[in-house]
Amino acid sequence: MATNTESGEIEGFGQVSRTVGTIFRYLLVAATMFGIVMLAVLLLYVANDAIQPSTADPGWYLTFFLALVVPSVAVGWTVRRRDRGAFGFGALLVGMLVVSLMFSGGVALLVIDVVPPLAALAYAIGIVVPVGFAVLLTQQAHRISFTPRLAATTALFYLSLFGLPGPIGAAAGIPQIVPSLVGAIQSIPVIPVDWMMVTAVVGGGSAAAIGAYVASVRDTRAGLYATAAAFAATVVAGALGPAVGIDSVPAVVIAAIAFVPTGTYAWRGAFTEEGSPLGLVFAVTVVGGALVGAFAVNVLGFAGPQSWVDWQFLTSAHSGTAENAGLYPAIGGSILLMATVAALSFPLGVGAAVYLEEYASDNALTRFVDVNISNLAGVPSVVYGLLGLGIFVTYLGRSAGTVLVGGATLALLILPIVIISSREAIRSVPSDMRQASYGMGATRWQTVKNVVLPEAFPGILTGTILALGRAIGETAPLIMIGAPNVVFNLPNALGAKVSAMPLQVYAWSSLFASEDFYTKAVPAGVVVLLAVLLAMNSVAIVLRNKFERTG
Amino acid sequence: MGTDELTSDLTRQTENSPRELLTRTFFFLCAGLSIVTTISIVVLLVTEAAKFFTITAPLMGITGPTASIVDFLTGTTWQINSGEFGVLTLVSATAMITLGSAVIAIPLGVATAIYLSEYASNRARSVLKPALEILAGVPTVVYGFFALIYITPALSVILPSIGTFNMLSASIVVGVMIIPMVASISEDAMSAVPDDLRQAGYGMGATKFDVATGIVVPAALSGIFSSFILALSRAIGETMAVTIAAGSRAQFLNPLNPASFLEGSLPMTAAMVQLLLGDITGGGLAYRSLFAIGLVLFVITLIMNVISDFIAQRYREEY
Repeated sequence: MATNTESGEIEGFGQVSRTVGTIFRYLLVAATMFGIVMLAVLLLYVANDAIQPSTADPGWYLTFFLALVVPSVAVGWTVRRRDRGAFGFGALLVGMLVVSLMFSGGVALLVIDVVPPLAALAYAIGIVVPVGFAVLLTQQAHRISFTPRLAATTALFYLSLFGLPGPIGAAAGIPQIVPSLVGAIQSIPVIPVDWMMVTAVVGGGSAAAIGAYVASVRDTRAGLYATAAAFAATVVAGALGPAVGIDSVPAVVIAAIAFVPTGTYAWRGAFTEEGSPLGLVFAVTVVGGALVGAFAVNVLGFAGPQSWVDWQFLTSAHSGTAENAGLYPAIGGSILLMATVAALSFPLGVGAAVYLEEYASDNALTRFVDVNISNLAGVPSVVYGLLGLGIFVTYLGRSAGTVLVGGATLALLILPIVIISSREAIRSVPSDMRQASYGMGATRWQTVKNVVLPEAFPGILTGTILALGRAIGETAPLIMIGAPNVVFNLPNALGAKVSAMPLQVYAWSSLFASEDFYTKAVPAGVVVLLAVLLAMNSVAIVLRNKFERTG
Repeated sequence: MGTDELTSDLTRQTENSPRELLTRTFFFLCAGLSIVTTISIVVLLVTEAAKFFTITAPLMGITGPTASIVDFLTGTTWQINSGEFGVLTLVSATAMITLGSAVIAIPLGVATAIYLSEYASNRARSVLKPALEILAGVPTVVYGFFALIYITPALSVILPSIGTFNMLSASIVVGVMIIPMVASISEDAMSAVPDDLRQAGYGMGATKFDVATGIVVPAALSGIFSSFILALSRAIGETMAVTIAAGSRAQFLNPLNPASFLEGSLPMTAAMVQLLLGDITGGGLAYRSLFAIGLVLFVITLIMNVISDFIAQRYREEY
């Protein structure tokens, strides 16, 4: 190394080669991107096979480009430059409309093909009436002590759902003396039209929820007005639906689940003090552009892509030919399975999390449960399937492959995940709040009910939705419990055989393996499954972001 | 503990009221369910597997065909119809999938973790982490379809002798599937390395590369290893991707011979699905073999989970 004696500096001192570091850095980026890019390419391939964008008319693309893309980009860019928050609100509104339309489709499927409207109405009334009494009783809490209140509430529910003496009496051989409320409603000779009953159940529930939401934003009066307005909108949708070619029942469901909630959210974001109508302008541009585009291609006669994900695919059952095969029973099966899984795993998982975080002392048993749960989370899903097969089917003698057995098995599978995420949510509630509650003289249960659970609820909900997303993609446990590969009808009871979307995709790609199924039905099934997963996960992520900001 | 004692002292009066007892019992039963689940899994697998083996079947009061435990653990033929249950065949296939997915997931996962923890800006991290989570969130049946329909044909361009069902494509998708697991646990371990160590490294004149490879990775090694083991136990239990992509013909392959990755075989999980889809009568020998495989699978994954836990606890550097 040459030395520069005059300045006393050594050439190259303090300098190292940057090459190694730079190469290493790029290698790391490449490694990070590898999986993501690979999956993106595979998803493009499968979307291409399922939707076949190349079969559309160039005019179709041109029309949508002019009607949807150009105005949306222009308006979106302007709005975003003026007010980023408003742009985010507008984008969220469009997303909410799309996701809630998907969910309303699921609910419509339930009320049309699974639960008869009369039974739904009967059970809704049979549950609402005792709940109302229970609320009244709770208001008398200072006069009546807990035990008689509990007894009265339980008796009311039993009477309303089962009558006297009900299943307990039937087991003892006593004939039914007093019919249950549910039974009485179902045996009324004059029944209203289907869509009115659906309006009462779905529209009533949705209107009540919206009223509560508006009341929490504004005041009770506004809440009451909102309830009335929401219910009226649902009724109008049911009455006018047939005029525009939609049956009354789906019209009511779509209005109650998709349009009314989205409309309420739009009102809140655009016309209350903290909101801004700019975001609404963006949302209206996107939705309006899509509608105008769809109308224009219809009038001009441009053919869209020959997508395999079409109305026929979504509404028909399996068929021997790939062109006619559909996913309808599998979609319905997945919805029912998810409802069962949620109903079982949510209370059990949250209950276990509450016990471990709020009640358990730090002893050997608690530590054992702790280790046990983390090990259960690592047990392969086939083993859970074996558990379902061995316990529910073989030992308890339930018939194989039913909604109940499948739902219970999947619920056990995701229970550790629900517990772990709920514990995290509960742990993040500051202990000051608990101490404040105890300081007010609250008992442990009152603290859990009034402080811990409401604070932790968004986190618990996010974790549960993500866990349900895991359950909806599971196939192996369903195969193990003997779910049939091909189902032609929707299950109409908890004891009916069920299929599910991933199971149907597996059946098509293995049992009906042919070039036709590989290029048509399976990609279409994969796209639908991924779309449902995406919708669920985006709901979870939006919830998490929303509550992380404020909380 | 101080606040806990205070709490119990303050709430002693009301602790045993009917409402408190009722709610506490409910929460306790919920937590107890996890123990019941574990016990049920163990008891079920052990009793059903015991009915399968000749040596233990009389204890369970089972007469009829049984299988020798020695043949089960050492045999290299899996032919249900001729009554040959050599689980080594299935284990070798599972070992191949595990090995193949490890070759993909371990380097990529660790590299991803180093990038996310040491190099990525906050903005890049907030985009990349959810994107990686998607890799783990795609249903495994979809991965299996990808392997069969897109990856195998693409591989056959380079390797013409590859079979329709092959271990290579199954290993690739399982590897991609477990990258996020390796990456997220390793990244947690790397993020837990205190900044002082990095600053000390820079103070000694180390480059970013030196700090990442010479300081952060060694300091986080226990977490990194525990992530490997957890991810591999996930790969072992992975079912649908290998069922669709790896084939249905059980054959004993040498996991260390690269050429055998071009052939298909039957991993343990796939064998279970295949048994279920075939006509097995409840209580028959094939039905019980299901539980015998399940027991082997459960024991292997449990041991790996415990080892991973042990490494993470025992060799953790305390800062």
